[in-house]
Amino acid sequence: MTERENGGDGKYGALGKPSIPLRIVDGRRLEKKFRDALRPGGVLSDSQGQAHALPRYFYEVPSWDVAVNLQLSEHFALWEFIHTDVHEVEALRTFPRYVPCAITLMALGLEQFRDAVGSFVHIAANGGYRSPGHALSVHATPHAWGTAVNIYKVGDTMLDEQEALEHYAEIAYRSMPGVYVRPFGKVRGYTDDHLHLDFGYVVAVPRGAPFEMYNPKVDVEPL
Amino acid sequence: MPTPVTAPPISLEPGSSLRHRLEELEERSRARALAVALHDLETGRQFRYRSERWFHAASTIKLAVLLGTYASVHRGKYVPQSRLHVRNRFRSAYDGSSFRILSERDADSEVQSAIGKTMRLSELARNMIIRSSNLATNLLLDLLGIEFLQRVLEENNLAGIDLRRGVEDELAFEHGINNRITADGLVQLLRLIAEERALTPELSRTMLEILHDQEFRSGIPAGLPADARVAHKTGEISTIAHDAGIVYLPNRKPYIIAILSEWEPEITGRSPTIAAASYMVYEHLVGVKDVDE
Repeated sequence: MTERENGGDGKYGALGKPSIPLRIVDGRRLEKKFRDALRPGGVLSDSQGQAHALPRYFYEVPSWDVAVNLQLSEHFALWEFIHTDVHEVEALRTFPRYVPCAITLMALGLEQFRDAVGSFVHIAANGGYRSPGHALSVHATPHAWGTAVNIYKVGDTMLDEQEALEHYAEIAYRSMPGVYVRPFGKVRGYTDDHLHLDFGYVVAVPRGAPFEMYNPKVDVEPL
Repeated sequence: MPTPVTAPPISLEPGSSLRHRLEELEERSRARALAVALHDLETGRQFRYRSERWFHAASTIKLAVLLGTYASVHRGKYVPQSRLHVRNRFRSAYDGSSFRILSERDADSEVQSAIGKTMRLSELARNMIIRSSNLATNLLLDLLGIEFLQRVLEENNLAGIDLRRGVEDELAFEHGINNRITADGLVQLLRLIAEERALTPELSRTMLEILHDQEFRSGIPAGLPADARVAHKTGEISTIAHDAGIVYLPNRKPYIIAILSEWEPEITGRSPTIAAASYMVYEHLVGVKDVDE
């Protein structure tokens, strides 16, 4: 096996080094405006009142160009997971942006889903990572963990009919072990105009994440 | 006098007053109701024909959404380049149940094809006006909120525009929750834009440019000479046909006109009737006759 150097195309890292050529940051050491938006290591409750710990470690995305050119997997680039709109909090509408490290898990799952459907899979705007402060993040949604995607279209098929949604839901169950697919319906917790896939509240701490001994003072004043 | 682009199909006695001719047009066209409001910026003269009568707004309500969109820019809430997720799911003003804009009932395909992606607010506003995109309208209305839009209308003293919901909300329609307008209300709104008093002169000009690019031109423009330029917005549903705009003619200040009409569903000839009314107003303003009020 030969060592493949990152040739600048963002596809491969050198063996023995992290494969994502982005700085990993401890969210609790970021500026206040980012901490307020990301709530790193904080707690968010789901619609049943069950608390979940939010991600603490993030990839730092310095620019839109980097996001566009960085392939997380063969067919999915980073930008697709962070494409949000005016509903995202203001601090996260400009660069640098921050995305939970577990985003790579969903890229891997989607690659398998794409293989199974044999066509293009389009992640919708607001359909990848959404911060806890995003206007659509009412309860703890796995979108705030970077482990959920909304898909409006597979190939040329719009996923806005029950038959199409259930067809691709079935494929997702078969091709993405452990995935949750939101059922068809018109009320909260259901979906009728897109396919929602998620891996739940997964927190990833990749090798290379900044490490420090636990210091209770950080809980009071992170900086 | 320049020749109209399309001669009005209903021939009326040219010697009578504008009011009389409009009454005759209303009767001959078999419209259930016709209303006209006019404000001439060249002479300051006004004309009103049933101009306080309330009509279902149809797509002319999009003028209010246009004003509200740029009011949000003016207040620093958004910038024209702000991106909005295009999603086709809305809540009915009647009971909050969800509904969609059917693509076959939307004159614009550009916004429909962007479902799942984002578009800039300026792009949505433009599509909402020039091709009357229903999807763009509801997206903007959802983002800005009814209350905000109503407040903008109130702050601009636009009492003749009653905004209560998005478009294509069938359930609300069945329960009588509708957007309504008067001819006076639309003229007042367009006058703000024409006189660059809508928000700021720059934002007024931005809205005016959008209105100038209107693609549906079978109403007011069809009754005018080829050298007339019209910044306008049409509106049509099964029982309604409206057109309201700012008419620019060479060597004079513009005039603002709203022509509203209500019909039995089976009656045809709506656009020609609006074109005819447009021609009559033009003829009386610029041609041989004075406006009678």
